[in-house]
Amino acid sequence: MSDRSFVVVGGGPAGLTAALQLTRFGVPVTVVERTQAVGGIARTEEYKGFHFDMGGHRFFTKRADVHRLWEELLPGDFLRRPRLSRIYYRGRFFHYPLKPVEALLRLGPLEALRIVLSYLRWQAFPHRREETFEQWVTNRFGRRLFETFFKAYTEKVWGLSCSELRAEWAAQRIKNLSLRSILVSFLVPPRQTITSLIEEFHYPRRGPGMMWRAAARDVEARGGVVRLDSDVTRIVREGTRIVRLEVRRGGGLETIEGTDFITSMPVTQFVRRLDPPPPPEVLEAARRLRYRDLLTVCLIVNRPHLFPDNWIYVHDEGVKVARIQNFKNWSPEMVPDPSRTSLGLEYFCDEGDAFWTLPDAVLVQRGREELEKIGLAQAADVEDGCVFRVPNAYPVYDSVYAGHLGVLRGFMDGLENCRTVGRNGLHRYNNQDHSMLTAMSAVGNMLFDESHDLWSVNTDAEYHEEVRTGPETAAVTELLERFDPVAMGLSSGAMSGALIALATLVLVMKGGPVVGPTLGLLAEYFPGYRVSGAGSLVGLFYGGALGFLGGWAFARIRNLQTALFLALARRQRDLRGLARLLE
Amino acid sequence: MRDQPDPETAVRIRVRRLSALASGLVAGALAGAGLCLATLWLVVKGGHPVGPHLALLGQFFIGYRVTPMGSLVGLAYGSVTGFAVFFCGAALYNWIAQRREAGGGPA
Repeated sequence: MSDRSFVVVGGGPAGLTAALQLTRFGVPVTVVERTQAVGGIARTEEYKGFHFDMGGHRFFTKRADVHRLWEELLPGDFLRRPRLSRIYYRGRFFHYPLKPVEALLRLGPLEALRIVLSYLRWQAFPHRREETFEQWVTNRFGRRLFETFFKAYTEKVWGLSCSELRAEWAAQRIKNLSLRSILVSFLVPPRQTITSLIEEFHYPRRGPGMMWRAAARDVEARGGVVRLDSDVTRIVREGTRIVRLEVRRGGGLETIEGTDFITSMPVTQFVRRLDPPPPPEVLEAARRLRYRDLLTVCLIVNRPHLFPDNWIYVHDEGVKVARIQNFKNWSPEMVPDPSRTSLGLEYFCDEGDAFWTLPDAVLVQRGREELEKIGLAQAADVEDGCVFRVPNAYPVYDSVYAGHLGVLRGFMDGLENCRTVGRNGLHRYNNQDHSMLTAMSAVGNMLFDESHDLWSVNTDAEYHEEVRTGPETAAVTELLERFDPVAMGLSSGAMSGALIALATLVLVMKGGPVVGPTLGLLAEYFPGYRVSGAGSLVGLFYGGALGFLGGWAFARIRNLQTALFLALARRQRDLRGLARLLE
Repeated sequence: MRDQPDPETAVRIRVRRLSALASGLVAGALAGAGLCLATLWLVVKGGHPVGPHLALLGQFFIGYRVTPMGSLVGLAYGSVTGFAVFFCGAALYNWIAQRREAGGGPA
């Protein structure tokens, strides 16, 4: 390994995790980060001693290796925080994830009735074709519920009308939810860990940036180099090998060489900076992949407490803000002065659009006004503010992304000494720990010839669920297997017929003045049956027929029960998936 | 051991197999215990004659009578008969299901 040197592009969770792994194996590594701070889209910005988390990053993972790394990087600085998030809609707050009974009660009896009627109407007469997100949700939950809790927010986040957003997007997110886990949860009482994962999370005392600054220090302490403010302008390749990067740093250009490369920069930008460029279809695919960008208006309010939530989803169409973070509720140390509260008003937009390019002062004023309009604080209480812009915050799953991503994947996988990792490197809606996992897997593949599929690292799916493996899920799967009604009928019929025939023959052979008077009573039900040699054949027939019917009916009913059970589980999965669409 | 498909596949495609041994043992235990208890119940109730209808099982189960000792005999007969019927039934089901699956799947 000593003759190898790695270059990692991107100082976010994925890039720094890769660098951490490499330095721990004693491999020389240089990290190149475009901005002046590490953390990528999980960075923490600072303004006058206030810390602002861009997007709000909960730390929770089912991966022991990832959690161990977090604990190693921030021993004693990792808080366990309660989660509270609500939806703000028409002046009222609704717990999120939605609690159906609470939601209906808060909406009032009339609105609740309209939601129920709408649900029934769309169950009875659904859209025949599910092409759009609107149709997809409406078919499952009714139009009224869709309009109340999903339409406005979804349109704010993605910048598309729900009638333009493809149904595949929702289906894709739901698809990954484990039907099996839901089925198991029907049968086995949930364990305590479920609640803890959903209702609590870990968080560094001063935001995720604290974690990634610690990671950068660790890399440097082990001999690695972290170069900030270094924008990769050109990626030079020779055939299928990357040989060096050209980086703009300060006013000049620098060259960074390495034997191996790991990149977490947006894969679309990576291919555009290749020299020589990749085939036209790859460039075209890169051009067609979209990201959604995040603009956070940070406000400092001279009130010690405003609301108890970590964040609030704003579904009201009267304001543009989509989500409001209350950083003090993430960690008290996010604010330097306990008499103040810091908020992050999150606006989803496209880099360079009219909103993105508004002057900061205008945006702060806009945030102040919207905060008052919602009723969370008085505009006059906002004493200061600033704006942070995070480009490429969310990969967009539109109707064409999968095909284009496939083209890019094909090209990237063909590079011998380069792997792409992280949320933007893979264009996947990864959580932080999954981004780290892709980096760990990439290092394993490159250093030890392991064969992890980076593109299939779980995106979010079973993440909020209790993932069950082993005997529980195996048992559930077996329970779901269908009975063969004909086989069940035939075997049951054969056994019943044989029993009656045998019993008849035994009595015939024993003989007596009156042969088998009691068994002979079967003739009441089986016309023609008698306790005689010929009667045993009649009994065989009747027993066989009756047994067949019984066995066949049992199997059919059991299969129907299983189908209903599965339909219930599917509905539950849809509900859980829909509840996660906002996140 | 069979691999574990996703639930949708399991419910649509996979035909369940029965464990003949487990089916036989469960049915045998239930039948034996049931006959034993039914016998003892009639013995405790008493009367003349004791359990005339249940005693008709003696036609098939040689040595069985509605007495305390007969309850043990019934336990043995019930267990053996229950085991045999359900073991054979499950094995027969598996055999038919397998043949049908190999020939294109159940209806």
